[in-house]
Amino acid sequence: MEFLPLLQYSAPVALAAMGEVITERGGIINIGLEGSMLVASYFAMLACYVTHNPWIGLGAGVTGALVTTLLFGVFAIYLSADQVVVGSAVNLLALGVTGTLFRSKFGQSGQLLSVPRIGGFHGVDPIMVFMLASAPLLWLLLRKTGWGLAVRACGEYPKAAEAAGFSVSRLRLQSLMVGGFYSGLAGSYLALVIAGSFAENMTAGRGFVAIAMVTFGRWKPQFALIAALLIGCAESLQYKFQTYGWKVPFQMMIALPYIIALIVLVLVGRGANAPGALAQPYRKEK
Amino acid sequence: MSMNAKNILSLMAVAFLIGCGKPESNQYEGSTVKSVTSDEEKAKFKVALLTPGPVSDSGWNALAYEGLQAIKADMGATVDQKESSGTKIADDMRTYARQGYNVVFGHGFEYNDPAMRVAKDFPNTVFVTSSGGGTAKNVGAFRFDLEEGFYIAGYMAALMSKNGVIGSVSVQNYPSIVSTLKAYAAGAKAARPTVQVLPPVYFGVEGDVARARTATQQVINQHADFIIHQANAAAQGIFDACKEKKVYAFGSNANQNDNPSGIVIGSAVISTKTPFKELADAAKRKVYVGAIGEYAMINNAIDFVINPKLLDKVPADVQQKVRDLAADIKSQKIVVPKDKF
Repeated sequence: MEFLPLLQYSAPVALAAMGEVITERGGIINIGLEGSMLVASYFAMLACYVTHNPWIGLGAGVTGALVTTLLFGVFAIYLSADQVVVGSAVNLLALGVTGTLFRSKFGQSGQLLSVPRIGGFHGVDPIMVFMLASAPLLWLLLRKTGWGLAVRACGEYPKAAEAAGFSVSRLRLQSLMVGGFYSGLAGSYLALVIAGSFAENMTAGRGFVAIAMVTFGRWKPQFALIAALLIGCAESLQYKFQTYGWKVPFQMMIALPYIIALIVLVLVGRGANAPGALAQPYRKEK
Repeated sequence: MSMNAKNILSLMAVAFLIGCGKPESNQYEGSTVKSVTSDEEKAKFKVALLTPGPVSDSGWNALAYEGLQAIKADMGATVDQKESSGTKIADDMRTYARQGYNVVFGHGFEYNDPAMRVAKDFPNTVFVTSSGGGTAKNVGAFRFDLEEGFYIAGYMAALMSKNGVIGSVSVQNYPSIVSTLKAYAAGAKAARPTVQVLPPVYFGVEGDVARARTATQQVINQHADFIIHQANAAAQGIFDACKEKKVYAFGSNANQNDNPSGIVIGSAVISTKTPFKELADAAKRKVYVGAIGEYAMINNAIDFVINPKLLDKVPADVQQKVRDLAADIKSQKIVVPKDKF
């Protein structure tokens, strides 16, 4: 199996998962990840379609994802709303907005679009390099910097972080926006490198898979990357198995990566601790 | 701001966001679903369409939407469309029937069973599904014989394939899709018995362009040099993968020969406008009788179109054989195999 196509195929989930690691270590679970990826895919494609420049598309995609993530953050952090409910609302909003905009721009019956892609050197594109570099960089950011320590404190015991003089809300928003940036890269990568196109709901659950990869990767960016690559590898392989014509329902083949993920979680998941205050809204004591 | 006020504000904002989300139905001019309130409203001829996916897919669902728009334009009907799948289908059919819709189209095999259940309670509404075998007084089905277009595609692929290997990539193994893929294989074997037709590959998720592309890459890795699809909105992923590896693809459902990839060598096409209008007209005149309507090459509902821009890539003898085959199918000299479902 060729390694570069595998890296490329796995990149959206891997990028989103590594960003979500930072978000979750700060105590926020961004269920709206799928929505921000979808917004990024649409605006990346649209900007590229208009300007014929995929890099402008990338900028538009990341900006779209950051705005979507900020919307989630306002509700989840500053209004202390339930993160699962707000995230679900953001996903529905993104699906509706991108679908409506797509149809208004390209007609109710749609178009099979093909936009210029981000090029690479012998199959290696700059975002792929950034993805591979992100694993150690994000690990260093979390483990070896004061900011990382403060973010982890916000995720584990926000009252202690507040007592130490940190603003929990600000740090959580910062960690959320790091995740938003990566979700923007992920969605844009899907549209501008892998697909070179856009279709309604084209993220097809990758945001949710990325959230699962965070757990699979035990809230560590390097393991989240490995988990995403493993799932991508299994998924890519199952298509090859389908061409062999084995008498196995194709739904079983499609489920194969997730069965593997479950088995690995059972085998290695013991002792993996989620951040103590994950998904708990923080209300500052007056 | 007190905490209670913040919570209330959050909930209101979330409700607002959900309200801004994807509309349950497309609200086009004059097509918003409303309660039947006046005699004038009741007198209007109203037609609804349920589709399994977004109508922006440039394929199966888009074709049905075009049929619906033809009914609106030519018959002055009030129309509405909604995505509906699984357990929602029966509920949506009931909702439309209660709102006085005269015809409810369900665009797929999976709508036939719910239509049979719901139709008993709404004798004044006609329910029609695209494929499916159940019929009643006010329930019928279209049967688009797309197998004929796929048979010709398989025939042409086998004649032209250098590797002697052809394949397919589809979204799901619905009976209607499986039947077309069998016809593709049968057409290929009829042209060249030694050709290898790879087992169908399914990627499972509607609109997932990336999965469609990866699945196609794997099919090409098995040496297939002609690929047909039933991928709807994800078709671009298939075309792009074919373009990268310099192999040919076939379009399906809609005429996709103009795709910017430049590798779509021909398309197996369904024309839905005439069947949709004929059926709506029968319902409007209250002469509709539940039945399965066959729409095939013989009544110009199915076609196979070689890409005119790639004609120079298709040897003259192959072009002639394809034309002859199409004529034989149209005259029913050759009967293309079709599954019953």
